[in-house]
Amino acid sequence: MQAEGIDYIRFTIVSPETIKKMSVAKLIVPDTYNEDGYPIDGGLVDQRLGVIDPGLKCKTCGGRAKTCPGHFGHIELVRPVIHPEFAKTIYLLLQSTCRQCHRVLLSEEQITELRPAIKSYVSEEDEEREAIVPTDQQQMQQQVMDEGSKAVLLKKIRSVKKCPHCSAQQAKIKLERPTYFYADGNRIKPDEIRDWMQKISDEDLEPLGMDKTATRPEWLVLTTLMVPPVNVRPSITLESGERSEDDLTHKLVDIMRINQRLEQDIDAGAPQIIIDDLWELLQYQVTTYFNNETPGVPVARHRSTRPLKTLAQRLKGKEGRLRYNLSGKRVNFSARTVISSDASLTINQVGIPRRIAENLTVPFYVTLWNMEHAKALLMRNEYPMVINVISREGIRKRVADTNREELIKALAQGFVLERQLVDGDIALFNRQPTLHRLSIMAHTVKVLPGRTMRLHVSVAFPYNADFDGDEMNLHVPQSIEAQAEARYLMQPKDMILSPRDGRTVMFTEEDEIAGAYFLTKDDAYFTKDEACLMLSSIGINELPKAAKNGAYSGKSIFSMLLPKGMDFDEDVKGNHMVIKNGELKEGIIDAKLIGLGGTLIQHIFSHYGSDAAMYFILNSAKLSLRVLLMEGVTISIRDYYNTEFVNNERVRIIDEVTQKAALLLEKYRNKQLEALPGYTRKETFETETLVALEEARALASKTLEKVLDRSNMAYLMVLVHARGSVLNLVQTSMFLGQQAVRGKRPSRGYAGRTLPYFKRNDRSPLARGFIRSSFFDGLSPVEFYMHAMGARDSGMTKSLVTAVSGYLQRRLINALQDLYVDENLSVKDASGALIQTIYGGDGIDPMQEQVAKEKRK
Amino acid sequence: MEEKGSLKVSPGEAVGVVAAQSIGEPGTQMILRSFHAAGISSLITTKGLPRIIEIVDARKRPKFPMMHVVLEDSVAKKYESVRAIWRKIEEVKVSSVLRSFSEDLRSQTMTLELDREKLASYEITAHQVASKLEKREATEVSQDDNIIRVKIKSKDMKSARTAFVHIRNASIIGVAGITKALVQQDEAGVFFITTAGSNIADVMMIDGVDKWHIYSNDIFEVMRVYGIEAARTLIAHELYETMSDEGFTVSFRHPSLVADTMTYTGSIKSIGRHGVAGEKESVFARAAYEETVKHFTNAGVFGEKDMLKGVAENILIGKQIGVGTGMVRLAIKKDELKKVKAKE
Repeated sequence: MQAEGIDYIRFTIVSPETIKKMSVAKLIVPDTYNEDGYPIDGGLVDQRLGVIDPGLKCKTCGGRAKTCPGHFGHIELVRPVIHPEFAKTIYLLLQSTCRQCHRVLLSEEQITELRPAIKSYVSEEDEEREAIVPTDQQQMQQQVMDEGSKAVLLKKIRSVKKCPHCSAQQAKIKLERPTYFYADGNRIKPDEIRDWMQKISDEDLEPLGMDKTATRPEWLVLTTLMVPPVNVRPSITLESGERSEDDLTHKLVDIMRINQRLEQDIDAGAPQIIIDDLWELLQYQVTTYFNNETPGVPVARHRSTRPLKTLAQRLKGKEGRLRYNLSGKRVNFSARTVISSDASLTINQVGIPRRIAENLTVPFYVTLWNMEHAKALLMRNEYPMVINVISREGIRKRVADTNREELIKALAQGFVLERQLVDGDIALFNRQPTLHRLSIMAHTVKVLPGRTMRLHVSVAFPYNADFDGDEMNLHVPQSIEAQAEARYLMQPKDMILSPRDGRTVMFTEEDEIAGAYFLTKDDAYFTKDEACLMLSSIGINELPKAAKNGAYSGKSIFSMLLPKGMDFDEDVKGNHMVIKNGELKEGIIDAKLIGLGGTLIQHIFSHYGSDAAMYFILNSAKLSLRVLLMEGVTISIRDYYNTEFVNNERVRIIDEVTQKAALLLEKYRNKQLEALPGYTRKETFETETLVALEEARALASKTLEKVLDRSNMAYLMVLVHARGSVLNLVQTSMFLGQQAVRGKRPSRGYAGRTLPYFKRNDRSPLARGFIRSSFFDGLSPVEFYMHAMGARDSGMTKSLVTAVSGYLQRRLINALQDLYVDENLSVKDASGALIQTIYGGDGIDPMQEQVAKEKRK
Repeated sequence: MEEKGSLKVSPGEAVGVVAAQSIGEPGTQMILRSFHAAGISSLITTKGLPRIIEIVDARKRPKFPMMHVVLEDSVAKKYESVRAIWRKIEEVKVSSVLRSFSEDLRSQTMTLELDREKLASYEITAHQVASKLEKREATEVSQDDNIIRVKIKSKDMKSARTAFVHIRNASIIGVAGITKALVQQDEAGVFFITTAGSNIADVMMIDGVDKWHIYSNDIFEVMRVYGIEAARTLIAHELYETMSDEGFTVSFRHPSLVADTMTYTGSIKSIGRHGVAGEKESVFARAAYEETVKHFTNAGVFGEKDMLKGVAENILIGKQIGVGTGMVRLAIKKDELKKVKAKE
């Protein structure tokens, strides 16, 4: 369903005449309901404005609450009032027209000179015009286009002291917020402004950049106030039977009350001061009616002191009409629940709990050719059954045991059956925050027992999901077009490469990588039984060629996963990988190949297609896990137990950096330390000390890397990039190292120290968060405290970054969302402006970038 | 070998959104602290998320401007001549060679005592300082070894006071705005100079500097000196570099598309309320972004039309958006249709 036939939407100012023409009732009574709870005629809930009570009928269209669209009314203001949102426009008009003859403060020559510029600015036919207009005008034209007509004109006009038409001296106009105007210090009242505006001729609006068909200046000063229909401002009936009116109604009552009093006082010939006061009050009420956050105006409040939500507040901001209701669409046919993992699924599938599948529906279009099938479907009274039948007229009927026969009889071409979700249907799966296009992908439904939605772990990464309680959303596309689009463009198997850099984002992780190491390391051989067990677990019923001793090499088993005839040769940091004719000849499979950004997966994807890549990921994961089941990786405390050499190194490294820090401190104390440019000596000392102390970790890492080998399982996992880093090892077995708060050493807490335990101005490593203990040894109380400071700081930073980067994301998307690639691979925006002649300079899809690079080689 | 698919982008692809996501998504994992001093040898620059925001906001001046000056082949390998160029680049102010100073407001004289060691380290003489100060308007300078007396001819004490400050900040040698310059050497033994502070136009004029290979991270300055194309390239390059420094690989297409959107009009526009997003043609797109009421009222006064072509507007009114598969339209040859109908 789409809104069709809207070519464009034009914005204009509503004239008082139009308001009156649109209005169905002139409202005169500043009240809502009478004592009997019945709407007062001429009041703010006049029945001619439409009805919201289910019992009543609209006096204009005769419709009931649900059918009546609502009708506008109007209030005649006794004295004109400035529209607060247009005060700035009025100010502009007052400044740029003559106080006496009300002409634009530009000479005829200047106007004629400007006209083509303005016209082209407005109608954008500049290319044709450029050839005709002489150079100086071209300059002006350029200026107008660069800075916008308003800016240029204002600059020009402000300097005019004398009217070029009647030579009257011009007054200095001042706008005092929000709505008071002064000419040379004397107040100009709204009625005078209105007269002034009225006298500006249509011709003079043109050089000001205004469109006479859209706006007459005098309309910016209100004489008639449009009153929105009641269903725009519905009243709520509380449980106690008491009525509570909408904020807008409250405000309108206020306006009408003051308006009425003003009228009475004028009729009674009250003194000018009283009239002026009331007039000003009317201005206040109208101002807050439009925008209750107008700067310089006290906020209008409800009886309960809650600020009223008036017109501008309804539209504005995140919870406003535009962003909340109009840009934010709500949908049916969706589900949300906790996610968990399932290794038996493919990355393309999603496991849906039966309860959800029973509630979600997919339309089934009844045609001449599937009538029998439709009838059979409709007959069913258990799980894959039809929930609703929609007739050709669009009447939706729920299927029940009582009316099933009847519905089958009535079934005809063009009917739509809403049947329950079944295996093989397509559904969009999403995890928030949706930062990515990979955060929404189309999975094939697999109905499963249980209450959670299930996905394969390898597809968790692009969603940034884990299974510690994450929830995800599911949407079932309804139209055939949407389903096709999802199938062709959004399936995870087609998204294995990231559009950010063309690298693999669906891959094997952790245990699977460790398993792959045990499978493909050079001395890995398996018995026939083992090989059979491993391969049959992934549905391969053949065996590779056995080695001489009758055993099967791990490499040959792994080769069973590779596409036939595949060639691959890559050197990743000393690990030379050779695949020839689909056989893994050399090299150990590790994370560089089948992990994040894995080149092997990428190679298979780009040469053998998405299905091959998907099954390669799934099978290598399963196979690796099977190996790991046999081999086993056990880490124990022994892996973190230091040899004497490491212990000595540990002491040596700590001594080394502590001495360095002490040296720096001495230099600083003796004022020998030279300040870095732009920094004080203290800051220089702190940063240099921090750098010196942070080096400890790097030194310790080097030591461990020297000492440890593949017999240490914790280190093995680091080496094959299965899990963990050397830093983790350093911190568990050697020392934690320097803690940082806001990028500096911890320093605050007590005067000149972090804890009362220290002396004031103690700048030694220990007093400023250098931790000598390891997780193995345990931390001293002081160290524990420092560690907690660092941890809290990083927690705080993290939450701050999400806010900042979220806003950056919103801005970027807003600025770039209209760009698209045209047929000739150029990039254009919504207005047709050419941004790039060929996308990226070569028209290559960023997803295929790595492939393109490979080809160029 | 069987090849799958084409490497080209599909027409209709919403490349803008992909670019925005590719730069925005890693943002969550980037550091927020703007700089991380890595010792004495390198200069401080803005990094990570703050730098990306700085670029995308089109700030008039980066927080830490910096230049990379390449030298002409004839001098680039000779340390002595490189040092001579370096001396012309780094700005030395009076205050940085001062040992002490005193101000006498009544007689409007200022006595500067210069530090011999500091003078020597910059290889300048007290006489140089004095002659530099002599060139200033309304001053009378007398020099006695390392003591310089400056008399200011001004009407009142207040202007004399400001003049004193100006004298201390007066530059003796070097390029204005370059607070620090470092001579560095690459693997090939070629020297180059990195600077804190940026002033391309002046550095360019120094003999021995390769005019074609000065790199600055000040986008607006690059635009003024080299033009908009250079600025566009710089925006794209800086975005790319900032991200790869953080360890995020990103296809060059994404930052370059952002750069093109910011500069295709010929001037640099920021991403956001005051730039690209705030100058969209569509009233609805602007109103749905920020400053809703302002955009609606102005649209009314100027009688603006919303042609409903962009993404935001079409979501708003519930129509299919005009990018991707939504861009495709079907056309029917009317004559053919008639033939088919006639057959039926």
